[in-house]
Amino acid sequence: MPALRALLVLVCLALVPAPAAAASLDRAGFAAGLCDDAAAQVRAAEGLIQSAGELPGDDLAFAAGLLGALAERRLACPADGALLLDRPGASEGHDALTGLARATPDARVPVLGLRQRAAMETARGVTALLTGPDPAARAAGLAAAERRIATVPAAVLDRARDAESDAGLKERITGLAQAAALSSPDPVRRRAAIAAVAAHPSGAAKARLAALKGDPAYAADPAFRAALDAGLATVSRAVAVGDGLAVVYNGLSFASILFMAAAGLAIIFGLMGVINLAQGEFIMLGAYATYGVQEAFRRLAPGLLDLYLVAAIPVAFCAVALVGIVVEALILRHLYRRPLMSLLATWAVSLFLVNLVRVTVGTQNLQFVMPAYVSGGVPLYADFVVTWNRLFAIGFAAATLVLTLLILRRTPLGLDIRAVTQNRDMAACLGLPTRRVDRLAFGLGSGIAGLAGVALCPIYSVNPGMGSGFIVDSFMVVVLGGVGSLLGTLVAALGIGGANVLIEPVSGAVAAKVIVLVGIILFLQRRPEGLFAVRRRR
Amino acid sequence: MTGLVIEALTVAFGRFTALDGVSLAVDPGEVRAVIGPNGAGKTTLLDVISGITKPVSGRVMLGDRIDLTTRSEAEIARAGVRRKFQKPSVFPALTVRENLEIGCGPAVPAGARPARIASVLGEIGLGPRADIMAGRLSHGEKQWLEIGMVLAAEPALLLLDEPVAGLSDAETAQTAALIRALRRPDRAILVIEHDMNFVEAVADRVTVLHEGRTLYEGSLRGARSDARVIEVFLGR
Amino acid sequence: MSGAMQTVLAPPAGPARRAVRDPLVAGLVGLCLAVAVGLLVARPAPYLVNALGQLAAFAILAVSLDLVWGYLGILSLGHGLFFAIGGYVCAMHLLSHGVAVTGVLPDFVQFMGWKSLPAYWAGLDHPAYALVLALALAGLVAFLFGLASFRSRVNGVYFSIISQALVYVAMLLMYRNDTGLGGNNGMTGFPLLFGWPMGSPGVATGLAVAALVALAAVLAGTRLLVGSAVGRRMLACRDDETRLRTLGYSTTRLKLGIWCLSAMIAALAGILYVPQVGIINPRVLAPDLSIEIAVWVAIGGLGRLGGAVIGAVLVNGLKFWLSAAMPEAWPFILSGLVLVVVLALPNGLLDLVALRPRPTWLRSSR
Repeated sequence: MPALRALLVLVCLALVPAPAAAASLDRAGFAAGLCDDAAAQVRAAEGLIQSAGELPGDDLAFAAGLLGALAERRLACPADGALLLDRPGASEGHDALTGLARATPDARVPVLGLRQRAAMETARGVTALLTGPDPAARAAGLAAAERRIATVPAAVLDRARDAESDAGLKERITGLAQAAALSSPDPVRRRAAIAAVAAHPSGAAKARLAALKGDPAYAADPAFRAALDAGLATVSRAVAVGDGLAVVYNGLSFASILFMAAAGLAIIFGLMGVINLAQGEFIMLGAYATYGVQEAFRRLAPGLLDLYLVAAIPVAFCAVALVGIVVEALILRHLYRRPLMSLLATWAVSLFLVNLVRVTVGTQNLQFVMPAYVSGGVPLYADFVVTWNRLFAIGFAAATLVLTLLILRRTPLGLDIRAVTQNRDMAACLGLPTRRVDRLAFGLGSGIAGLAGVALCPIYSVNPGMGSGFIVDSFMVVVLGGVGSLLGTLVAALGIGGANVLIEPVSGAVAAKVIVLVGIILFLQRRPEGLFAVRRRR
Repeated sequence: MTGLVIEALTVAFGRFTALDGVSLAVDPGEVRAVIGPNGAGKTTLLDVISGITKPVSGRVMLGDRIDLTTRSEAEIARAGVRRKFQKPSVFPALTVRENLEIGCGPAVPAGARPARIASVLGEIGLGPRADIMAGRLSHGEKQWLEIGMVLAAEPALLLLDEPVAGLSDAETAQTAALIRALRRPDRAILVIEHDMNFVEAVADRVTVLHEGRTLYEGSLRGARSDARVIEVFLGR
Repeated sequence: MSGAMQTVLAPPAGPARRAVRDPLVAGLVGLCLAVAVGLLVARPAPYLVNALGQLAAFAILAVSLDLVWGYLGILSLGHGLFFAIGGYVCAMHLLSHGVAVTGVLPDFVQFMGWKSLPAYWAGLDHPAYALVLALALAGLVAFLFGLASFRSRVNGVYFSIISQALVYVAMLLMYRNDTGLGGNNGMTGFPLLFGWPMGSPGVATGLAVAALVALAAVLAGTRLLVGSAVGRRMLACRDDETRLRTLGYSTTRLKLGIWCLSAMIAALAGILYVPQVGIINPRVLAPDLSIEIAVWVAIGGLGRLGGAVIGAVLVNGLKFWLSAAMPEAWPFILSGLVLVVVLALPNGLLDLVALRPRPTWLRSSR
């Protein structure tokens, strides 16, 4: 019936939306192809796959519907057009193009032969990938398309990737697109893919490019080889830079903790000549105080739990400073001018504190809630991720440095401390209350150690014996940096922290400590007073 | 013949210049007094000569051949330099006699020591106290013991840093006599003191230091009438 | 001015003259020999024999530290290193000897899957070689460390800190399992001593007697040393090193010599200790243990050889007793004891007994 056919064509034309310059699917042709012989079916499917990257969404949906029906034997092929049945074997269905109901008196139901099945599955997968309602459906489509990925054009994967909202699926699509591009038979496309991979360097990218070296094109095609070598060089350099940044970052965070642990020690030693062997335990007390604050928040203000780390800062400082002042007032005050006996006394205090905590709280590691602002990180370059917990420690140490400098340089207490450090007798003659200065300075030094305890809760494990891990390193920082010099402590902490982190991946943690110790001893040969000690007149 | 020649000595502690191009020459047989206000660099000068401090530049020649700035304290002492410190530095856990025995130094053979010790004990007048722990001596006795210790090795260069600080007038006069008796043609003596009467009693010449530089060198009478010295140190 | 200064400085209390004899040391030497004889004759319980032997070894260790701390003013917080060197070499000898006699490899060698003892163990089944090696090794390590430190004038608390770092690093090294020295489990299961089985009462008594005799010898020897001219120079160096140097003496050489001697005595203590406890592991290198040695000396009496012995015996005796009765309380008791002694009895427990009280000015600021 020619009139009906013409009407059909008109309706088709009216129904198919025409995007400005994009391609569109010849729906009638597509349906006819599916209803035709095996070769035509494959052609229709392949044609769909090739053009799927540019087709509008409803064309794809239309095709998906037809392909699904064909697979489930719900596609009926009368003399003209195609019919979609509700279920296999139904007597009535809807016209595929118009949607109007039609009877199916003698419509043939095509069966998918083995030869066409692969193409059909790929086509279905492509449409599902592009038009699936949820990530699971799209992932299933991707899996199906993946089996014959070589036949899927880049445009399809690119479109799917750009439209994808689910991060994980998007990454998979990207990876697949990249891999497809890299092994594409088109050399131009391959070189473009190599450049694209090199533009986002990472360890994985480097491995992917390195694997291509075994590809026959590497030996055969000079342009390919040049592109691959250049890409590999770029990526290797970037990865090395990223690794270097990671080392610097880790070193900085370790040095930050060292600095905070040693800064208090340096102030106390410069002032009173006392080496505080309980410094590690003061750090431990700061960490335990942080835990106490966390538990208090949990009980009293669970909604604000994430803020416990910030609230712990003044609490830990004051608590540990108080402990320090008590120790100074009860014990150290009497050991004035007897530095070696003071050392033994502080050791006794450290022994006492460790066992006190062990007996009252227990020896198990404390469990800390990781607030959002110290969890995770942001990837910065190549494989280098700026983790928040270390950034917290670095920031904290910087703030501590600035605050301590401010206290020492701008406050009356700081002036008193510096005066008594440089010339105790003269300061006493001028009327400075040297004993009170000692007490407050010891409190300050202990408080800074407490702050170190807060800073390392997100990074290290917290238990009663944790102090011993820091004390030897803190000593080394003080000895290297020079007596009483805050700047010396900073430089020495950076040096020792950096050296440890640099040597450790090469020779192991133990070798790093040995080398650092030997280095310090050798350095002291040339400058026994340390890096920045003030050379005093006798 | 020894004697001490200091050439253009400069010593700095960080940014502070303690001695700034000081030159000095002490002849053998001479007693030279180095005077000046506090902080002038006098003790630093002795520190450099005895090897405790190293200078930034300059030389300290003992006799003609030995540059003391390149030697360690022990080497300098073995070359014949002895110093009496400002704060009496005796060994409190040892007796007077044992202190003097150590003062003899490694160079004196064991056999010669008792005689040397006996003679020094006589010179410093501590014979009756020879077996008392040095820590129990009075301040004046400690000063004399230390003088005895540095004499025991018969040094070629004797450095005395405020030998009469904290002594009574009588003890000061005794010490002056002792030092005058120490003169020898092959020995140079350098004394730092603030007590002008004492300086007048012992010194042949004086060097006045001020802010690390030599202000005046000559007789004490000349120093007392020099305008700059009066303004800086001696007062009107 | 000078008159006023004179009345302020009243003469301090204490002995005016030097004592020629030291009755405390003489008494202790006699006591050691008497107890040794008693052990041979009376055959007391093995537990007591073993305890006495260990105490004697610790006393030797304390004397070695007192030699450098009390008489030279060098507070080493790393003497455990030399003790460990002696102990480890002794353990190697005992195990080598066992292998030579029985042909059975020690456990830790089997754990590592090795077929024989590592190459550098060769010859250690000869006791004379082992003894010489232990002492020489301790002396060498001490020499290198001392040379680097004394030459650069590292003194006082700086030296103490660095010696702590040294023993800490040694501990980390020994915890590695690939050193061929037992790793973190250490070495144990010593089968034989000079051919006799280790557990037998005869061997235990012999070891305790050897330790006591060694202690007596060490006490006598060090007493002779500190009473000699060298000993006087040590005191001089302790009280005013600059003064001694400016009198022509090389204090570096003096310190180095006594330091190495002290290390070798500490190694001797380790050699006597390990067979009596039957095990050595890296825990003996813990920095805390090295500080404890200083605590024994300080508690007993710094600068008195007899005091070091008393301190070591007292603290370790208390530890043996209390660790069994109330283990939780021991650290608190120890820290309390240290604080009491440091604050109230600056010269150690000998102050209490008023056995030759020593005025504090005899110790310069230490």
